[in-house]
Amino acid sequence: MTAQRRPGMDHEHHDWSPISTRGVLRWPNNARVALCVIVTLEHMEWEPPEGSFSTDVVGGLGIRPFPDYARYSHRDYGHRVGIFRVLDTLERHGIKPTVAMDAQTAEEYPFLVKHCMERGCEIIGHGISASQMISSNMPVEEEADYIKKAVDALKKATGSAPQGWLGPEYGESAHTPQLLAQAGIKYLCDWANDEQPYPMHSPSGEMFALPSMLELDDVHALWTRRVTVQRYGLLLKEGFDAMYRDGEQNGRVLVINIHPWLMGQPFRIGFLDDALGHMVRNQGVWAASGSEIIDWYRQNRPTD
Amino acid sequence: MVSTSNRVDYSPIIDRPKLEWPNGARVALWIAPNVEHYEYLPVQDGPRNPWPRTPYPDVQQYTYRDYGNRVGFWRMLEVLDKHKIRCCVSLNMAVLEHFPEIAKAMVDRDWDFMSHGIYNTRYLYSYTEEQEREFYRDNIETLRRHTGKQLKGMLGPAISGTPATPDLMAEAGLIYHTDWMHDDQPVPINVKSGKLISVPYSIELNDSPLFRLNYEGDYFADIVKAQFDQLYKEGAESSRVMCIALHPFLIGQPHRIKYLDEMLTYIMSHDGVWQTTADEIAEYYIENYYDEAVAHAQKFKS
Repeated sequence: MTAQRRPGMDHEHHDWSPISTRGVLRWPNNARVALCVIVTLEHMEWEPPEGSFSTDVVGGLGIRPFPDYARYSHRDYGHRVGIFRVLDTLERHGIKPTVAMDAQTAEEYPFLVKHCMERGCEIIGHGISASQMISSNMPVEEEADYIKKAVDALKKATGSAPQGWLGPEYGESAHTPQLLAQAGIKYLCDWANDEQPYPMHSPSGEMFALPSMLELDDVHALWTRRVTVQRYGLLLKEGFDAMYRDGEQNGRVLVINIHPWLMGQPFRIGFLDDALGHMVRNQGVWAASGSEIIDWYRQNRPTD
Repeated sequence: MVSTSNRVDYSPIIDRPKLEWPNGARVALWIAPNVEHYEYLPVQDGPRNPWPRTPYPDVQQYTYRDYGNRVGFWRMLEVLDKHKIRCCVSLNMAVLEHFPEIAKAMVDRDWDFMSHGIYNTRYLYSYTEEQEREFYRDNIETLRRHTGKQLKGMLGPAISGTPATPDLMAEAGLIYHTDWMHDDQPVPINVKSGKLISVPYSIELNDSPLFRLNYEGDYFADIVKAQFDQLYKEGAESSRVMCIALHPFLIGQPHRIKYLDEMLTYIMSHDGVWQTTADEIAEYYIENYYDEAVAHAQKFKS
C-alpha cells in the first residue's frame, strides 16, 4: 500500500514525534545517557533450509559457493572464542550485556546459555538463525510460528520468557511488531530511528521500541562500510560525546549492537574496551540492559 | 532444525585443557605466503568464474597476480630473510613446474609446503569424490617430486572445497586443513578415518581481503600488532596461534613492503614467540593434545 499524503507516518506502528517537541525524559540518578550494549549471538547454518531468506552476506570472503568453509567458520569464531572477550570487556566496565540469542544457539550451545545467565546477561529473542530472516516473504502464520519457535527455544533454555527482541539482520514484515506483542515480547530493537525509546501501537499488549544506532553496529561500520577499527573506536566515542551533551537537556539512549565473531577478534577487542571505558568514565551514564531501560521508561516517560 | 557441518565439536576457549607450545612459547607465529598461479585461459567448470570481469583472458587481473611471481615474491623474500622467517607456503603446486627459481628459493630456505591446490583458477566445488582423490594424489606426488617433502596440509584452492574434503584429505594422509577461521588454537575436525585438525589461518590478517578493499599497508601493520598484543597476553594462560597471510602480488608492491618489515620487527622483538610452520604446529598438537581435546569436547554436547 502506498503512502497516504497526510501528516504523520505512512504506517500504523507508532506516532510521528520529532525529538525537538518532546517532554523531558530523565533516567535514574539524572543520568544523561542510558547505555545498552546488545551482544548478538547468532548461528549461521552450514546449509540454510530451502526457501529461507536472508540478506546476511557478511563474514568469510563474502558469499562463495557451497560449501563455504571460510564464512561458516568465521562466524563460528564468535561462539568459540569472541564471545568471551566481549563479555569480559563489558564486565570490566560494569555493563550488563543484553544478549540477542537465536534459537539454534539456545538449543545447540547449552554452555553459552548457562555462561550468559551466570554472568547476569539479559537474553532477548533473535529469531531462529542468522541464515533465516523474517521478511514479508513469510505468510503471516509462518511468521507467527517462527516467532513462537524462537521464543519457546529461549524459554526452554533459560527458564524464562524473553522480554525483548532483535530480528536477524533487523528483519521484519509489516506484521512483526504485532506478532511479537502477541508472543509476549515487550520491546523491540529493530527500529533504528530514534535516540529515545518510544511506544508502539499494539492491540495485544504494551510494546516499546528500543532503537539501535545502526551506524554504530560493528557489522554495519566495520564490514559493510569498511571503516577502520581505529575510526570505529572514534565513532563510538564521538557519538557518545554528542549524545552526552544533548542528554543534559533530554535523556538519550545509546544502543550498540556488537557481534562477537567480528568485534571479538583479537585485534579489534581493545578498541571496544577503550570506547566503553571512555563512556562509563562519565558520571551521567546509566549502563543498563534493555528491559531495565524499558521498565524505567514505561514508568517515568514524559506524559506530554 | 539445526544445520551444522558436524565436522567440529563445540569447545569454548575458556574451558579447555591448557595448551603449551615448546619452550613455553605463548604464541605460535606462522607466516603463510600464498604463492599462486592463475591461468591465462582457465576453464570454468563449476559455480565460480575465475575471471569474472571480462571474457578470458583478463590481462589486467592476470598480470596483476603474475607480478607477484616476477617481482613481488623476491621483494617479499628480502624482508622475510632479514627476519629469518621460515615460512609455510600456501602453494599452487603448478608453480613448482612453471617457475623453478621460485621453487629453488623456497627449498633452499627449508620452508614447509601446504597445498593451495594446483592452480588458483581450479576450484574443488564441482569435483566428484574420485576426482578429489586424484587431486590429492597429484598434490602429494608433485610436491614430493620437486621438494622431497611429504604433504601434510591444505588451504583449499582459492579456499574452495566440497563437503567431503576433510574426509578425503585425511584418507590421503594429510593432517591439517586451514580453511577454518573458527579459533585461535588448533581444533580437531571429525573425519571418517585418520586424524585431521584445523590450524588457524586468517582472512582478517590477510593482505588479499584487506587491500582489495579500503585498507592499506599501514592498517595491516597496525592490526597485526594489535592482534599479536592480545594473543600474547592471553597466551600467558594457554598458548595461541597467530597466522599472517600474504600474497606476493600485494605485499610485494613497492608502496607496501615496509609495513611487512614493520610488523615482523615488532613481533620478533618479543620473547615467547615460536616462529614456526603449520606443519610443525599440526604435528605438535596431534602428538600432545589431540586425544585430550577430543575427549574434552564430549562434555559440551547438548
